[in-house]
Amino acid sequence: MTAVEPRPQTAEVRASKRTEILENRPVNLDGFVEEWPEKGLVAMESDFDPQPSIRVEGGRIVELDGRTREQFDFMDTFIADHAIDVDTCEQAMAIESVEIARMLVDPRTSRADVVALGRGLTPAKILDVVKLMNVVEIMMGMQKVRSRRTPANQAHSTSAKDNPIQVAADAAEAAVRGFAELETTLGVLRYAPLVAIGLQVGGQVGRGGVLTQCALEEATELDLGMRGITAYAETISIYGTESVFVDGDDTPWSKAFLASAYASRGIKMRFTSGTGSEVQMGNAEGRSMLFLEIRCILMAKGAGVQGLQNGSISCIGVPGAVPGGIRAVAAENLVASWMDLECASGNDQSFSHSAMRRTSRLVPQLFSGTDFVCSGYSGVPNKDNMFAGSNLDTEDYDDWNTIQRDMQVDGGLRHVREDVILQVRNKAARALQAVFAELDLPAITDEEVEAATYADSSDDYPDRDVLADLEGARSVMERGVTGLDLVKVLERSGFGDVAENYLQVLRQRVSGDLLQTAAIFTGDFVPLAAVNDANDYAGPGTGYRLSGERWEELKKLRHVTSAENPEEEVV
Amino acid sequence: MTVDLTPADYPLSINRPELLRTPTGKALADITMAAVVSGEVTAEDLRVTPETLVLQGRIAESAGRRQLGENCRRAAEMTAIPDAEVLAMYNALRPNASSAAQLEEIATRLEGTYSATTCAALVREAAEVYAARNLLADDSGEF
Amino acid sequence: MTTATGTRTLTLREIGPAERGTRPEEVVIALSPAFGDPFTKTIVDVPHAEVIRQLLAGIEEQGGVARTIKVYRTADLAAIAHFGAKLSGSGIAVGILARGTTVVHQRDLARLSNLELFPQAPLLDAEVFRMIGANAAQYAQSRSPRPVPTRNDQMARPRWQAKAALLHLKEFECIDHARAAVEVEPVITRVD
Repeated sequence: MTAVEPRPQTAEVRASKRTEILENRPVNLDGFVEEWPEKGLVAMESDFDPQPSIRVEGGRIVELDGRTREQFDFMDTFIADHAIDVDTCEQAMAIESVEIARMLVDPRTSRADVVALGRGLTPAKILDVVKLMNVVEIMMGMQKVRSRRTPANQAHSTSAKDNPIQVAADAAEAAVRGFAELETTLGVLRYAPLVAIGLQVGGQVGRGGVLTQCALEEATELDLGMRGITAYAETISIYGTESVFVDGDDTPWSKAFLASAYASRGIKMRFTSGTGSEVQMGNAEGRSMLFLEIRCILMAKGAGVQGLQNGSISCIGVPGAVPGGIRAVAAENLVASWMDLECASGNDQSFSHSAMRRTSRLVPQLFSGTDFVCSGYSGVPNKDNMFAGSNLDTEDYDDWNTIQRDMQVDGGLRHVREDVILQVRNKAARALQAVFAELDLPAITDEEVEAATYADSSDDYPDRDVLADLEGARSVMERGVTGLDLVKVLERSGFGDVAENYLQVLRQRVSGDLLQTAAIFTGDFVPLAAVNDANDYAGPGTGYRLSGERWEELKKLRHVTSAENPEEEVV
Repeated sequence: MTVDLTPADYPLSINRPELLRTPTGKALADITMAAVVSGEVTAEDLRVTPETLVLQGRIAESAGRRQLGENCRRAAEMTAIPDAEVLAMYNALRPNASSAAQLEEIATRLEGTYSATTCAALVREAAEVYAARNLLADDSGEF
Repeated sequence: MTTATGTRTLTLREIGPAERGTRPEEVVIALSPAFGDPFTKTIVDVPHAEVIRQLLAGIEEQGGVARTIKVYRTADLAAIAHFGAKLSGSGIAVGILARGTTVVHQRDLARLSNLELFPQAPLLDAEVFRMIGANAAQYAQSRSPRPVPTRNDQMARPRWQAKAALLHLKEFECIDHARAAVEVEPVITRVD
């Protein structure tokens, strides 16, 4: 049985023709379940969540959301000791929730004020505030409190066959289409070094300064980062209950230590969490999904990590199945941003069979703008997506571009002419071919380069000798190949511009500039973070507005009839 | 070197490059393709120094991000610790992985060998919480 | 209602405490607290009777012998399977959750490791369970079978993830810390 097979027809009673049509709509392939609040199978409105409270004694928080210090679990302790501002919390907690909710929505309250207030709030209080907000108010809040002024986007570039040439070509295309970050992962983990190299080389061909990462278990991910083969890390998971955190073999202290480890090597990093993970793992301790996610957000803040990927992520089927679940997902993105973290806001996993539901799930992040609207958008056909599919994939590129143009919103992408796409795909494959040749890795044939130029999916490439590739991958690790080695190889094999782009990315480690909140690179290698590009939204006419050159760029689509000569299309 | 930094100094690579050095003392502008090709610039140069991390921490704090500033300070201390040892310490901090004595040993080493006092404090804090929450290594056997 | 193929029901008849087996070719089938009772079918409605029948058939056709135990103190699949492996004469066990998630485990491996894991319960049908049984029997005889081909369906999440969570919660409710694991005899009855 597969997920797209229709539900078994059990009706013994005759149904109307209309019912038959409705029965066969894709939305009815999605799973929906009743709430079960006692067990935490509830989005954000549960009688089993604690009431907000705080008490400070001797400069220390001694009571948090109805628990005293001796009753604290380790999340409470970490949040009380690291996340919440002791000096301001009693004052902040005294403000009525409805007043704080209004401040989030009202453009006349500045981001700085509402963020400062947020530093003194407990998880239950934050939940109490966002529970008062409907989805439009959540979006109003998001457009003000997201940290970076300019929205951006992230792509997945993976291959069902772990084919590094495919990953390179698709990374190049994704980069030229506008993604600021590229993420890959593997089917066969041992392929990681070759695929990560493909991603980095392809990305720097498409657009200099794109940042890349390879999602792996913690130790290997850090290793590739330290070698300079990847530029940042994201899959550092945290959870909202102590029991699930321990099941994941970590604690807030081990993760805080890891956060510093990344920073100590000059590598950008964010944590990952999301609604539904605790109930999915069977230990929600009777709390709502959003309450637990807010604890994750405060834990991340307390650890001093610059950002968080959230928005349910790989558990989206859980909040997606309960009432109000997608509102809760929008709210968790809002809270991450409100807590002054970079927010990579999900929209990154297959979520629904229904195109309408997929779009409506995306609206809060795309229309408000977030630091990364998708984390990420599948830059390969979903069947090649080794994160088990995304909410958007390559088939949706033109729809996305059209929605940007319709609504005059910036989702980070643009339409790119076919000749440009073919050129960067071809160049990425050739650059990787040269790198493989120089490093004595299994050869990339001209036939493979040709395939990469015109391919859609992994089916369109000649099969690689997997065992030989894995041997090559092992030797890359054993020989200690670094990012700098790759720069040299690219330089001496005639890809000087790609080498230069790559060197710029590595050079940035020395400055530590990418460690600041929500940092990305512009095409001119200017770090853009929530420091020099802080969100300054203050109501109509302010903040990020799609205008000028960027708006002209987004007016372009695959087919637009020319006003000057209606017999032709705009190129 | 005490420098007062504000958000206006960011990005340091563009606005305050004179404050930046590689671990071997080179300036940012010395990291050129020619220098890479000639072997003058090595992988060792492409690391961040503790001084730079402290500067970035100050910028974060000046933007109201206290915890990010603290993280940068811990990171500054950690630059001295070799990669493998950083990973080993991280693994030792996982739940049920270390005894109280083992965590204290790590804290002492952080303090003594690496002058990493804020990192040591984090490890000691973890040890205290792990003891209270029954997350220290124990040999009573699992399920 | 009768159908041409008929349906089968599963009864787990308790034999006694789960103990260490001695037969070197033995495969232990370790069932979770809710398997067979109170639940009767997997997340995609494969009857538990059919799951057991296919596993047994797979084991038998490779010349193996099976012994079935039921665990009450945990609903953690890795723990269930690893426990079964420790009781197995060959050191090989197949662990199954009520919703169908299955793992083939071996005594000497770490608990969170495994020989073959089938995490996507919605993709497991009768044919797959038979292949799992056959492979387990081969591992038990120190042979190296080709792993059962894994299936992947990116739309399984929207369709089944929440139901899986619900079934998992229900299974957790069936945990009985006071009750030690027992050996059971699976009795499959055909209902026409």
